[in-house]
Amino acid sequence: MHKLLARQLAKAAKASGEVDLQALLALVAAAYEQSDADRQRTDRSMSLMIGELEQLNHGLDQLVRERTAELREREFELQAQNLRFDAALENMPQGLCMFDRNERLIVCNERYGEMYGLSPVQTKPGVTLRSILEARVQRGYHPDEPGLYVENILAKVRNSQPYYTEYPMSDGRIFAIHHRPMAGGGWVAIHQNITAQKQAETQIAFMARHDGLTGLTNRSVLLEKMEEALARLRRHGSPFTVFMLDLDLFKIVNDSLGHPVGDELLKVVAARLLACTRETDTVARLGGDEFAILATADDNQQGAAIATANRLLAAISTPFDLDGNVINVGTSIGIVLAPTHGANVEQLIKNADLALYKAKAEGRDSYRFFERSMGLEAITRRTHQSELRNALTNGEFVLHYHPIVDVHTREPASIEALIRWMHPQRGMISPLEFIPLAEETGLINPIGEWVLRKACADAAEWPANVKVSVNLSAVQFRRLCPLDNFRNVLDETGLPAERLELEITETVLLQGNEENVETLHQLRAMGISIVLDAFGTGYSSLSYLRMFPFDKIKIDRSFVHELAKNEHSASIVSAVAGLGRNLRIGTVAEGVETEDQLVLVRAAGCTHAQGYLFGKPCPVAELNFRRLGQRKQKSKVA
Amino acid sequence: MRVTQFSWSENAGWAAPSSNGTDSDLVFFFGNRQVLACGARYHELRAKFPHAHIVGCSTGGQIRNDDVTDDEIAAVALNFDATTLRVACEPASAADRSRACGEAIGRALAAPGLAGVFVLSDGLNVNGSELVAGIASVTGENVSITGGLAGDGADFHETLVSANCVPRKHLVAGVGFYGPAIRIGHGSAGGWDEFGPRRCITKSRGNVLFEFDGEPALDLYERYLGEDEAKGLPGSGLLFPLRIFDPERPQHDIVRTILAVDREARSMTFAGDVPQDWTAQLMRGHFDRLAAGAAQAARQAVDGLGEAHSGDSVAILVSCIGRRLLMGQHTADELEATSAEFGPRIPQLGFYSYGEISPHRVSGVCELHNQTMTVTTIAESAGGPRA
Repeated sequence: MHKLLARQLAKAAKASGEVDLQALLALVAAAYEQSDADRQRTDRSMSLMIGELEQLNHGLDQLVRERTAELREREFELQAQNLRFDAALENMPQGLCMFDRNERLIVCNERYGEMYGLSPVQTKPGVTLRSILEARVQRGYHPDEPGLYVENILAKVRNSQPYYTEYPMSDGRIFAIHHRPMAGGGWVAIHQNITAQKQAETQIAFMARHDGLTGLTNRSVLLEKMEEALARLRRHGSPFTVFMLDLDLFKIVNDSLGHPVGDELLKVVAARLLACTRETDTVARLGGDEFAILATADDNQQGAAIATANRLLAAISTPFDLDGNVINVGTSIGIVLAPTHGANVEQLIKNADLALYKAKAEGRDSYRFFERSMGLEAITRRTHQSELRNALTNGEFVLHYHPIVDVHTREPASIEALIRWMHPQRGMISPLEFIPLAEETGLINPIGEWVLRKACADAAEWPANVKVSVNLSAVQFRRLCPLDNFRNVLDETGLPAERLELEITETVLLQGNEENVETLHQLRAMGISIVLDAFGTGYSSLSYLRMFPFDKIKIDRSFVHELAKNEHSASIVSAVAGLGRNLRIGTVAEGVETEDQLVLVRAAGCTHAQGYLFGKPCPVAELNFRRLGQRKQKSKVA
Repeated sequence: MRVTQFSWSENAGWAAPSSNGTDSDLVFFFGNRQVLACGARYHELRAKFPHAHIVGCSTGGQIRNDDVTDDEIAAVALNFDATTLRVACEPASAADRSRACGEAIGRALAAPGLAGVFVLSDGLNVNGSELVAGIASVTGENVSITGGLAGDGADFHETLVSANCVPRKHLVAGVGFYGPAIRIGHGSAGGWDEFGPRRCITKSRGNVLFEFDGEPALDLYERYLGEDEAKGLPGSGLLFPLRIFDPERPQHDIVRTILAVDREARSMTFAGDVPQDWTAQLMRGHFDRLAAGAAQAARQAVDGLGEAHSGDSVAILVSCIGRRLLMGQHTADELEATSAEFGPRIPQLGFYSYGEISPHRVSGVCELHNQTMTVTTIAESAGGPRA
C-alpha cells in the first residue's frame, strides 16, 4: 500500500477502528488536488524556464555571433594592417631590420638582404646579429677591418643608445645606419645606401669652389688664395703676381659660331692656361671670358711675370681648331705685382683690372703692368661714362649733316647724318672721342637708335629727291638689325624706305657672318640703300663686294688727299670707280676739298663726292637746299 | 537529563506528562496562533511547571514525532542534571531594529559557561539575519545559536512568542544553556533543487527585493506561480524559494523565504537580507529530495551530540513553512526521514516556521536560513565537560 494512503487510512480511522469514509475521501481528494496543482506548477515553471533559457540561449547565440563577427573583423583589420606593414616594409628604399633583446632578428625587409648580399636563410627571423655580421664579412661587405667591424657594431648595439654611423664598404659603397633602441629591449635599424648622396655632396663642394665649365677654381677660391698669399707675404715676405686675362674677340666667336663653340673654346683656353703655369699657381675663371692667375714669385718678380705673360699670349694666339672651325683669338693681360701694386685683395684685383683695360684699349693681344696713372684715367673714363649716359636724357646730342653730291651736277643726292655731343662745359665733342666709350658701355645702342630716328624725322622734311645717310657700326648692327626697328622708325617718321641709306663698315661682314648678309638683303628688299663705308682702309677685300650687292661704295678720304701726289692712290681710286661702274655700283669720293680734287675724282669715274668743297657738316636748321642749288648753278657756270 | 513529551488538543486537553512537573527546568511549547492567543494554555503550563522556564511560539504546524498537526500543542519538559539556564526576551519593535534587539538578547545571556542559545523570535516583524548577527556579535563565534521564527500558518498575519509570559506578538526570546555538561548538536539542510537561469539582483534594500535583471521581482514570481497560485502570495511564493549568493563566493549560498509582497511597489520582503548585485536563482522542491535533506540535517545534529551522553536526549525540529506548503500530505515524509535518523532514543518535536536559525553548514557562522529543516539536539554528558 502506498505510504500516503496508509497515512490517510490511519488519519481517517475512528477510535473504534472503523474507517471514516468521508474523512478518507476528503484526504484522498486533497491529495489529488495537490498532486494536480504540483503538476500544473511544475509544467508551468518548466515551460517558463525553458522559454527563459531559450531566450538567454538566443541572447548568447547573438552575443557569440557578434563577438565572432567582431573578432573576424579585427582579424581582417589585422591582416590588412599586416599587408600594409609588409608593403611599406618591402617598398622602402632603405634596408630595415628589427632585433630582440637577445640580439636575434625579429624581422627585416628584402632590401636589407640585398644591400649586404645575404640569402633569405641568412636573414631568417631568429638568426643572431653576430651571424648576420659574419655573413656580411664573408660576402666582403664590410669596411677594412672585418673583425673590428663585428665587435664595434656589437658594442654599439649593446650600449642601448640611439646612434647614427656611416660605413664605407670595401666595395666603395657608403652605408648609413640609424640605430634606435626599442622599449623593452631590442632595437630597430635602418640601413641606407648613401653612396650617391655622398658623391653628390663631394660634387657640390667641388662646384662651390670651381667653375662648372672649365673645372678651374672660381672667383671666391681665387680671393681665398690671394688672402693666403697676402698672409704668406706678411709672414715670410714672399711676393706674388696676379694676371688678369680677357679674351679678345670672344664675343664675335660666341655670336657668330654659337655658345657651344664659345664654351668649347673656353675649355681649351683653360687647358692652355694651366699648361703655361706651375702646379702651385692658381688659375681661375672669373666669368665669361675673364680669367685670372695667381703665381708665386721669386727674386726677379717682374722678369718672371713678363716671361709668363709672353707664354700666355703665345698660347692663346695659337689658332684653335674646334670641330673644324679654325678660330683666332688673342688675349689681353693686366698684371699686378704684390706687394708693389697693392696691399690687399680688393686693391690688387682693381689694379689688375685697370691694367687689363689699358692693355685692351691699347691694341689687344698684349700685356700691361699696373701703373699709378691708370687710376686717374679710369676716373676720367668713369666721369665721361656717366656724362655720356646723361647726355642722351639731357638732349645734348645733335646731328650735323654733310651732303654727298653728284660729281657732274653737284646736286645733293643724299646727306650724311653725323652725331655731335654738345657738352655743356667742354663744348662740342667729336664722335671719335665718345663713340668708343659708347660702344664699350653699350650706350651705342640707344644713341644709334636716336640717331636713326632723328635723321629720318629730319629728312622727312627735305625735298623728295634727297636721301639721308645714317652710319651703323657693327655693334649697332647686331642690335638694330631686327627689321621691325627700321619699319617702326620709318612708319613713325613717314620717311619712305627709298630715301634711307645705311653706311656700314666691312666689319659687319667680317667672319663671313651670313646672318648679317641676310639682314642686309632684307633691308635692301624693303627699299633701303646699303653703302659700304671707308673702302680702302682695313682689309678692303674685294670679296666683300661679291658677297653683297652694295648700292654705293665710299672711297676713304686718304686716297682722295693723295690723288694729286700719289699715283698709286689715283690708280686705286680709278680701279674702284671702274669696278663700281662695271658692277653698276655708285662710288663716292670722300674728303673732296678743292675743285682740282673734284676734277680728278670725276675723271677717275667716281659718281659722287663728299667734302668741304660742298660745305662743312652743319645743323639741320642751317641746311640750305637753295644755296646748295646755287652752288650747283655756280659750278655749272664754272 | 530527562525528557518528557506531552501535548494538548481541543478534545482531550493536556495529555499530562507521566512525571511530576515541579522539578522541570525548561518547557518548550508550540501551537497555532489561535490556540495560543488567549493565554489560557500558558497559564495551564505555568501551573503545571511552576519552577520551569516556559518558552514557546505560534507556528505553521506542530511537529510531534512523525506527524504534523495544526490544532494540537506539542510540548516537552526538560530536567537537567548539571546545566543551568537563563531566559532573555526583548521586544521586536521593528525590522530595522533587529540587530539592536539581537545585541540586547546577547548581552542578557552572555555569561561564563554559555554553551548555546536557542532563539524563538517573532516571525514577521524582524530581520532574522540581523537578529542572529546581533546576538552572535555579543556571544562570539564559539556559542551555537539555533532556533527559529514563529509562524502563522499560511496567513502571515501575526506571530506570537512566549518567554515565561503569555504568548504575544513582537517578542524575541532566547534561552541560554550554561555549564560544561550541556551538549547541543545542530544540523540544517534544504534539499531543494535550483532551476532556471541565474539572475542578478539589480535593486534591493535590506530584506526588500525590487528587481531581478531590471525586471520587478514580483512579476517573475507571479509569472511562475500562474494566476491562481499568485493570489496566494506571499504564502505561495514559498513554493519557489530563492537561493542567493555573492558572485565571488558561490559556495556560501543561502536560501531566502518570502514574508510579504507589496503589489503596488512590485516588491517582495524576505526573512533575511537580499543584497544588491548578488546572484539569485529560483528553487523548486521534490518530496523525496526534501525528505533526504531533512534526514541530512538530522544526521548532522546527531553527530554534533557526540557519543557519550547519559539520560535522555531530545531533537527540536524547526522546518520551513514553505516545505510544508509544497509537500502537503507528504510533509510526514520528511518527519519520518528525521525520525529514522534519530531512532527510538531521541524523541522529536518542533514546528513549521517562518525562518530557521543555525550555523551555516560550510562557514559555521550562525545565521538565518529559510526553506530548510533545522535540527537542534540537546543532551547532557555522562562525565562532565568533554575534552
